[in-house]
Amino acid sequence: MRQQADTAALGIWVFLATEVLFFSGMLLAYTVLRHAYPEGFAEAGRDTKIVIGSVNTAVLLTSSATMAWAVHTAKLGHRKLLTILLVATAALGLVFVGLKGLEYAQEYAERLVPGLDFSSDSPHAHAIELFYFLYFALTGIHAVHLSIGIVIVGIMAWRASRGAFGPAYYTPVEITGLYWHFVDLVWIFLYPLIYLNGRSGG
Amino acid sequence: MPKPPRSLVWAWIGLVLLLALTLGMAFVPLGSGNIVVALAVAAAKAAVVLLVFMELTRGHSLKLIFAGAGIFWLIIMFGLSFTDYTTRTGFPPAH
Repeated sequence: MRQQADTAALGIWVFLATEVLFFSGMLLAYTVLRHAYPEGFAEAGRDTKIVIGSVNTAVLLTSSATMAWAVHTAKLGHRKLLTILLVATAALGLVFVGLKGLEYAQEYAERLVPGLDFSSDSPHAHAIELFYFLYFALTGIHAVHLSIGIVIVGIMAWRASRGAFGPAYYTPVEITGLYWHFVDLVWIFLYPLIYLNGRSGG
Repeated sequence: MPKPPRSLVWAWIGLVLLLALTLGMAFVPLGSGNIVVALAVAAAKAAVVLLVFMELTRGHSLKLIFAGAGIFWLIIMFGLSFTDYTTRTGFPPAH
């Protein structure tokens, strides 16, 4: 059993290593374009919704803490608390996605969506459009990852409520936790690149 | 109701304080220092998540190698790309 658990944990780490590369292709594009168009990227970054972005960062960090607590609880075998913590984690994930949706709606209304309805009268309009293209790609794919996480955490909560996990068997909760923390890690780097970029100037 | 482990509570407090720090520092004009501070704080937050929440250094030591492999290829990708982009003439293209 211990070896099975170790193998499963190593498997998710391999998967997460490939996920690093999946996201970093877009992060490379961001770095190159930011280097090429510093003024345009700063101007675009200043107009991002920093309140929603910061609240969402706090929400996601908190959800990681409840997730880590859930894994700890699974090891101890407290069935009810484990269920509550997993539901809380999924609920915080839903709050994040909800706020993200609100943000997208505002950006659509402000005509900031490249390819769909983009318009800017700034001299850096071209660079701003590139910024928003990467913004929607990065945050969109992050939101897809988070949504998958919410479904998996939900399934874990359902299984936990039926008493599936205890001190002898909690690997699925542990693996789900590692995936959830990874999605949090991605956001930890997206937050300064998108929302904090260009705030001190202009 | 059982209390959360102390280490998790401290990690969460640390993460929220780091978020407040990076948000505040973003409005202080430091020129190119802003991105350095922002990424340093992000790296500190990532370290808390990796070490406390993901227990990277506990259990099987192979997972350190697997996690390191992701970072290793990331460095190769950025490193080789920038030998190109930083030495290229005519980039970005003029409009």
